[in-house]
Amino acid sequence: MANARNRSLEVTIISGEDLRINGRPIKNNAFVTVKAESRCSPSSHESTKPDARGDSYPYWDEKLHVELPAGSPYVVVEAHRRSSSAGDKLVGMAWIPVSDFVGDYTPENHLHFLSYRLRDAKGLRNGIINISVRVVTSSHKGASSCSSPLPPPVLESRMPVDREKHGGTVTGVPVWFPNQWKS
Amino acid sequence: MGSCFSDVRGGQQAVGGTRQGPIGGGGGGGNNGGHNDAVDHFFRARGQPALFSQIELSLSASKLRDLDIMSKSDPMAVVYLRKTDGKLEELGRTEVISNSLDPAWIEKISLAYQFETVQHLIFHVYDVDTKYHNLPVKTLKLKDQDFLGEASCVLSEIVTKQSRSLTLSLHNKNLQVGLRNLGTLTIHAEESVASRTAVEITFRCSHLENKDIFSKSDPFLRISRVVESGGSLPICKTEVINNNLNPTWRPLCLSMQQFGSKENPLVIECFDFNTSGNHALIGKLQKSIADLEKLHKERNGANFTITASHHGHEKVLRSQLFVDQFLEKQQYSFLDYISSGFELNFMVAVDFTASNGNPRNPDSLHYMDPSGRYNPYQQAIMEVGEVIQFYDSDRRFTAWGFGGRTYDGTVSHCFNLNGSQDGYEVEGVEGIMAAYAGALHNVSLAGPTLFGQVINRAAQVAGHSLSHNHSKYYVLLIITDGVLTDQQETIDALVRASDLPLSILIVGVGGADFTQMEKLDADNGIRLESSTGRVATRDIVQFVPMREVHRGSISVVQALLEELPGQFLTYMRARDIKPRAQMPL
Repeated sequence: MANARNRSLEVTIISGEDLRINGRPIKNNAFVTVKAESRCSPSSHESTKPDARGDSYPYWDEKLHVELPAGSPYVVVEAHRRSSSAGDKLVGMAWIPVSDFVGDYTPENHLHFLSYRLRDAKGLRNGIINISVRVVTSSHKGASSCSSPLPPPVLESRMPVDREKHGGTVTGVPVWFPNQWKS
Repeated sequence: MGSCFSDVRGGQQAVGGTRQGPIGGGGGGGNNGGHNDAVDHFFRARGQPALFSQIELSLSASKLRDLDIMSKSDPMAVVYLRKTDGKLEELGRTEVISNSLDPAWIEKISLAYQFETVQHLIFHVYDVDTKYHNLPVKTLKLKDQDFLGEASCVLSEIVTKQSRSLTLSLHNKNLQVGLRNLGTLTIHAEESVASRTAVEITFRCSHLENKDIFSKSDPFLRISRVVESGGSLPICKTEVINNNLNPTWRPLCLSMQQFGSKENPLVIECFDFNTSGNHALIGKLQKSIADLEKLHKERNGANFTITASHHGHEKVLRSQLFVDQFLEKQQYSFLDYISSGFELNFMVAVDFTASNGNPRNPDSLHYMDPSGRYNPYQQAIMEVGEVIQFYDSDRRFTAWGFGGRTYDGTVSHCFNLNGSQDGYEVEGVEGIMAAYAGALHNVSLAGPTLFGQVINRAAQVAGHSLSHNHSKYYVLLIITDGVLTDQQETIDALVRASDLPLSILIVGVGGADFTQMEKLDADNGIRLESSTGRVATRDIVQFVPMREVHRGSISVVQALLEELPGQFLTYMRARDIKPRAQMPL
């Protein structure tokens, strides 16, 4: 499995598109938080600064570090709007499968530019978030044995299944087994 | 990480959108993803390409034939472009050098490098008689001169080399090589400085007029270049800023290839964005890049004007344009990358679905005409292959078929065209044509039309190459006669491939209704979205139906190629990948 090791990620939150609250484009002060989804280890959670100047098309270009524990299948990105009067309001979130940047066709520390559809608390589509992700280090700690939480039913995770017999080469993803002597 | 590109689309006045901009690339003339569908009309003046590079050729020769009795030959070289109809168009001539069999001419010949065509160059060397020596070279009648030799090559052969030089043996006009040693000709190509120059400008406006009723205007700027015919050619536009009469847009990057020269007048228009596509003009002004630089230095604003409807005068508005930042920079050109070793790898996927018709039937799209006339598949393969082959050093191309029933009786949606089990590569464009002809005998047409597997395989190849280096860029040409059956699966595969060094060109042949395919080519500004919620990083697909009528001398298929250098540069610049250090000559 691609998630057999802990990883450190460098996530750059680049920009957002068409962010709305209750159907109305937001005026300013959008910010984004990122965390790895994992029930067991306390997930580190980092945020960008609010974009005071930008409106519903905010631009941050801010680098955040996220620890991705082994076994964690998603990185969760949430866009919020900060308002001094009303507090923080959730604009939308995106669940990013780790398989989108690990174990696909590319090398481990490749810089990925990714974009995702944000969905609001009701599950409705609400804008797009543009990020870049790079795996910085992978440490050989033991794989955690806890189960991963279920993603929201709206998203379906599908792995590309190649049913075709090529009779040729197959892509192998190197599997790392935890060192038996370390706990 | 700023990226610059032109979103001018050639040909018809399609009410298309703008070309999707790369993400993470600042303002760069990009638009706001799904915010703009059908934002604008972009048209191209007849025969004027938006992005090309000006090249200068320097010539030298050695060991020329000695035709003069008392002294050596006095050589001069003439350069021609061979057009598609076979006629030669003279591009220029060098000066005459007296008394030398190893001339190094000083006079350079200029021409525009066009990636999407095969530019055949013919060189003639003449010995100019003494009595003509003081006349302007242009006036010399070539038939009065003594012919010393001829050479020919394709421009891409020269510009793709690291030394940007090519040495050719001269021969007689009848191509009788080896009869006598006629010497050699060396051609060196250099890109003009303009191809690397770009400016990054941050525009701001004040006191824009309110065109919206219930809120403020949503302004954006469109910059156009004035052309000789009198009209203007849009070259760039900013993003739309909502609800703001004093906006500052993200920095806009313009390459000199787009604006021509710093003195060229540019028309800058400010519009209020309307979702209907009918944007209201707030005001316009005309400034050159040099003028904008002055505005920046002096921290002045320029007033917009608008044509007052009733008396046709230009009314000066209170709205002003400011240049908050002006940065001139050099960026690597497409040829800088190519000559430093970057390559374009060509992959072809041919449709073997039953809708093409039995290949033995003259009505079939796969019919191989004994007269040698190409069927649409062969045509598309040749037109793309013959251009791209110069950008691939080993000329090993990938050739696949899809939708056919192979030797083992099963229908495959990605099989090797050469019939082999392990290797999907063939040698040269002729290798693709041979594999295609062979496959027509061995594979029976089946169906349905699915692209997903071919795209996934191409993505796999492109992704794997990243483990070795970042200097390969892949171009997948899919030639199909029909409409997709797996639209969502294809979109998923495209989204997964959108962050890889890959561009996909789809050519539709035959008479089917291809409207659905046009959705894959996100020219309307809507980014493709996969079933897992991921959105395409960039627009890597272009589609054209072969039957589309095209203006100008290039085919519709070759017009697809025009965008490739831009897509390649966007990918490289977004990742800050630079050309490899050039070795000294």
